[in-house]
Amino acid sequence: MDVTLLYNVPMQETFGVSIAIYFYLTGLSAGSFILSSLRYVFGFEKFKPLAKPGVVLAAVLLVMAPLALLIHSGHPMRAWHLFVFINPTSPLSWGSFLLTIYPIVCIIYAYFMFKENNKMAKILGIIGIPSAIAVHGYTGFVLAVAKARAVWATPIMPLLFLVSAMISGIALMMIVCAIQGYFFTKDRKINSELLFTLGNMLIWIIIFDLFLVLCDMVTHYMGHKEGIEATIHMTTGFFGFTFLIIEVFIGKIIPMIVFAVPRFRKNWVYVLTAIVIMIGIFVMRYNVVVGGEHIPLV
Amino acid sequence: MKATKRYGMVIDLTKCIGCHSCELSCKLENKVPLSVWRMWVKEGIKGHYPNVTKVYLPLLCNHCDNPTCVTVCPVKASIKREDGIVIVDPHRCIGCRYCMAACPYGMRHINPLIGIVQKCDFCLHRVSEGEKPACVLSCPNGAMIFGDLNDRFSEISKFIATHRVTVIKEDTGNIPFCLLYTS
Repeated sequence: MDVTLLYNVPMQETFGVSIAIYFYLTGLSAGSFILSSLRYVFGFEKFKPLAKPGVVLAAVLLVMAPLALLIHSGHPMRAWHLFVFINPTSPLSWGSFLLTIYPIVCIIYAYFMFKENNKMAKILGIIGIPSAIAVHGYTGFVLAVAKARAVWATPIMPLLFLVSAMISGIALMMIVCAIQGYFFTKDRKINSELLFTLGNMLIWIIIFDLFLVLCDMVTHYMGHKEGIEATIHMTTGFFGFTFLIIEVFIGKIIPMIVFAVPRFRKNWVYVLTAIVIMIGIFVMRYNVVVGGEHIPLV
Repeated sequence: MKATKRYGMVIDLTKCIGCHSCELSCKLENKVPLSVWRMWVKEGIKGHYPNVTKVYLPLLCNHCDNPTCVTVCPVKASIKREDGIVIVDPHRCIGCRYCMAACPYGMRHINPLIGIVQKCDFCLHRVSEGEKPACVLSCPNGAMIFGDLNDRFSEISKFIATHRVTVIKEDTGNIPFCLLYTS
């Protein structure tokens, strides 16, 4: 279209930073829950030190997450409407139930874990993993179903969210592992083996995540008009710096290289990289939510 | 002729002069607060230097047949009435702004004073008494035509029968009912 716009009404911010924080917190919660279930459900003894802090963090972060929603909502006192007036076609309506069930599952799972009841912990873990995936996966649907924005309305959005949730969850667990080793053991020794294992896991998950981001960008760029506009906006436009430099380069490619090179196998390097990854994933949420709605619609 | 009504609007862009009076009258009629608009006129320049024209496009809620805002509202506060007008129940809306995010036309706004989402409702208080919406009434050139599309003797049906009309963003599948006549 060769029309130059002269006068336009600025769009009101719809989701904004508070929803980005909410997505980030649910992602961290789901990621740390899945890592904590590695020991009790899948039986990897190596990850035993992470099981208890993982589930406690999962519950605490998920109790914190809806606070961001309440702050964002125009009428927080009407939150009970979500449980009374249900619209089955709305992902937010599914979310109101998932956000209620998941912390309860988390707390029961944590109870059996602290009681050392391995059998019940395994059963609750098996229930918990799908609910952890659902509680974060639905946030991907929230954006994917809102078909107005090309950046959001992509079918791989739930998958992209789940993979980045795993990345941020593993990075959080690396920091937890370091804190646990340094402050809560007698010889103040960090469990380096576990730290490096988590780093190795991250390499492959980051590669998968970069692949998904590439898929998303390429299909948008080859697609319809709004998709092309969105790709230009996210790569060379207003969000180019935060997307390409901070999210992809600093937040994903550099950590991937650090974890892949054996020379960097030092505890402090790994912990520092984990912090960088967590910041990078937060910037990813910000880019998707705020960058997506930044493009004017009509 | 069907028993139910289906309200719609035709905007004759050949008659629009870009005076913004529809925008103003909407603000006055519905007491829309500062910094938000229920409808506005978009201006632009079309073409390159010697052949340049100024274009105007009044934008308002399209009152779609398949509205995304109604699909995604988690509390069913956005309702499509039987006569086709999409409204927001002010007592049920929780202000989550999901409908604002999902509307492909960006026609909704959150009222900064009372924290609920509001939108154009074709001036329901006027239409229910048989009058025209404020924007239609204020248009000096009669560029906006409002009426019942199911009544084939109404002004709007006669206009559509003789003119070729189009809509914005047809590919979203929302089936908008603010029809544009360009030329």
